[in-house]
Amino acid sequence: MTNNTRNIPTLKGISDIRRFFYTNEIPIYFISATNFNLLGADEWVKGFKFICYIECFDGKHPNVFSPKEELPHEEFQSIEDINNYLLEHKEVVDYIRKRGDKGKALFLMFNDHTEELAKSLGLEVAFPSAEMRTHMDNKVNTNRIAEKAGVPCVPNVLTKVDSYEHLGEVSKHLGTDLVIQTPFGDSGHTTFFISDEEEYNKYKDEIESESEVKVMKRISCFGSAIEACVTQHGTIVAPLMTELVGFKELTPYKGGWCGNEIFPQAFNETIRTKAREYTQLFGNQLRKEGYKGYFELDFLIEEGTDEIYLGELNPRVTGASSITNHAVFALADAPLFIFHLLEYMNQPYELDVDAINTRWFSDINIDSWGQLVIKHTEDTVEYVTQAPRSGIYRMDENGCIYFDRMDTHRRAVESEREAFFLRITRVGDYFYEGADIGILVMRGRLMTDDFQLRDRAQSWIHAIKSLYKSKIPGNDPYVQERVAEIGGFKMM
Amino acid sequence: MLVSMNCVREDQPGEKWKSLFDRSWPFYKKWYAQEGLLSRPGYLTCYNQLKEHMPELLPVYEQLCSLAGGGDIASRYLSLYSPPPFMSGCTQLAWTKPPYGIIRNYDYDPRLFEGVMLKTNWLKHVMGVSDCNWGLLDGINEDGLAVSLTFGGRNVTGKGFGIPLVVRYALETCATVPEAQRLFLRVPVHMAYNITMVDTHGSFSTLFLSPDRRPLLSDSWVATNHQEVVEWMEYAALTGTLERKEFLEALLVLPHLDKEEVIRRFFNLPLYHNQAKQSFVTLYTAAYNVEERSTRILWPTKYISQSLHAFNEHREVVNLRKYQTKEFLK
Repeated sequence: MTNNTRNIPTLKGISDIRRFFYTNEIPIYFISATNFNLLGADEWVKGFKFICYIECFDGKHPNVFSPKEELPHEEFQSIEDINNYLLEHKEVVDYIRKRGDKGKALFLMFNDHTEELAKSLGLEVAFPSAEMRTHMDNKVNTNRIAEKAGVPCVPNVLTKVDSYEHLGEVSKHLGTDLVIQTPFGDSGHTTFFISDEEEYNKYKDEIESESEVKVMKRISCFGSAIEACVTQHGTIVAPLMTELVGFKELTPYKGGWCGNEIFPQAFNETIRTKAREYTQLFGNQLRKEGYKGYFELDFLIEEGTDEIYLGELNPRVTGASSITNHAVFALADAPLFIFHLLEYMNQPYELDVDAINTRWFSDINIDSWGQLVIKHTEDTVEYVTQAPRSGIYRMDENGCIYFDRMDTHRRAVESEREAFFLRITRVGDYFYEGADIGILVMRGRLMTDDFQLRDRAQSWIHAIKSLYKSKIPGNDPYVQERVAEIGGFKMM
Repeated sequence: MLVSMNCVREDQPGEKWKSLFDRSWPFYKKWYAQEGLLSRPGYLTCYNQLKEHMPELLPVYEQLCSLAGGGDIASRYLSLYSPPPFMSGCTQLAWTKPPYGIIRNYDYDPRLFEGVMLKTNWLKHVMGVSDCNWGLLDGINEDGLAVSLTFGGRNVTGKGFGIPLVVRYALETCATVPEAQRLFLRVPVHMAYNITMVDTHGSFSTLFLSPDRRPLLSDSWVATNHQEVVEWMEYAALTGTLERKEFLEALLVLPHLDKEEVIRRFFNLPLYHNQAKQSFVTLYTAAYNVEERSTRILWPTKYISQSLHAFNEHREVVNLRKYQTKEFLK
């Protein structure tokens, strides 16, 4: 394909778009710690490969490449560090070169150094620039975009905070129960709940060191997530998902994300309609700001009312993307990430975005799935001697599970007695507080209507954990070092 | 103390080079990793730097990497981009009366001496004393350009290439001193080095290269281990760099001085370094003749002659201790 669009016939509608990717000749890579976020993408796009640091499939996945030799590297602090390590690695360089040039790269996270490395490898990053993403990821800037778009946020004030008294002055109209967020941060780490001076003093340093923070009224709410894609023909919006937050069986972090559900009747129709509308407004505003492609919004849904507020913007694919991209509407049309890629293929196309949004909003096009992101929740360090492999597991009448068959994603999970497990922690790795063990994906609901974890989810968590064997190592400095090294992983 | 010089001819990278690499790699790997591999740039960076600064060498580099097993660490090492520091001693002199040439002493730690003289025809015919498996300490090419290096005696490091590879690059791509000058002016080096070169027109040049400042062209025939002035006193005192330079400059103004006499002086104090300093020994003397495209590698008790037209593969072993105990010079 060339940039000379005059000779390229315009793709007309979904079937042309699907054909376009099934016959694609441009190498496309998802480069990341694992291939969790875009599981299954290789089946929609010819020439799509995953380049991963952690091999979740023991070499059995046809499209995952992971360098064999582990090189010494700085302690990874972030997924960006992992990606930069991968891009410098000779096995990766050789692999990309061998597959031809003019490739495209997708990342979960990247920075300007990643961009440089990708460019020098002849890869085009199929995302808005790191600079733009960083700007939009800033919670304070997100708030401003929301204001411009006309999307409501929880009553708040953006301000510098110098002291508890100062906080009281600037947030008088918000009451005394407050939530303060610093501009950057991830689930559960940089959101502070403050109702008195004692609580304030606990986070004083973090809050006062920022030049601007977001001070919000505390509301009683449920978390939700929605994924969408800014295209030249409008914003495509996937269905609203529930979020699993802070379950102690899954995460040691209070308020930490630990899964999602997608199902036809999530929340109520008023809320779903509002969420879709707001996401479209937000997407259209993002487009005005120069952004194109995949993004995710967290909406806070106030308990007892039908009010919904924007919580957070993630200008990228996310930990919920796998749930969105395998639901039945995605199989019937095309997964959301396909529309993202299309925006970066220099390919003219026509698409009726309204028709897609209408279809994707209809109950008949939404099937029920849930994912559990399982972390090590105890404050222990353990050496893993046995770990279950990735694939599809079955549960018997006694609540025991066993490996049934290899698969690379969840689509072939038949019934609620089965689940797909993506293993992150391998034999020879360590459990430590917050370590990602793996992800369970299953049909049906994981939470009750009042947002409690169902017994079925509990049984599966317990069952998959019981397939791990580990031992407590001695006070070995190597272990401490190794744990520190891998401690930076986050799947979202 | 035994020093050997293994003279090997192989036109294109192949089994002989591989076998030399395999033998030295455990030692070079240790050297390359001495400050931790984290201190060394990643493969992609190394590759891109090589591509930017020495694009003509890329095909050879890729062949060598593949012979070396294709691994990440060996390939980073072979790029010689920002390797660990290395400092040699050395004295070198451009002989600018016909037959033009270079005379030099190579002073270094014998435990780290590769002891290989390589005759290749990668981009053109080149022979010289090998360092870091494909770099050169000194050498000559088919056009009659001869180049030699000494350490520049400055305690600075920066981003750039290990000098032996730049010497190789100059000999693979340049025919004359002005061409090579331009090359040395543009390729970044990671430490301070002095380059002396001569061509068949009798042009000569000494260049003071540094990672932190622009290269300086010197009008001197002679280079030892400092640049314009001494900047690292301890190192200068240890190696007697000023003394050696003054000695040679005084020697060169003598009337009727002949080349053979100068070569003999290279076996004498203050140019010659015996074993008193274990890590700083004169390992060989080289005398290039650009007209003949030849060189002699000399020791006090024996020498070998090689030329691009008649290169003999053999291995010479010299016992420097034996020579010392006979007190040959007294």
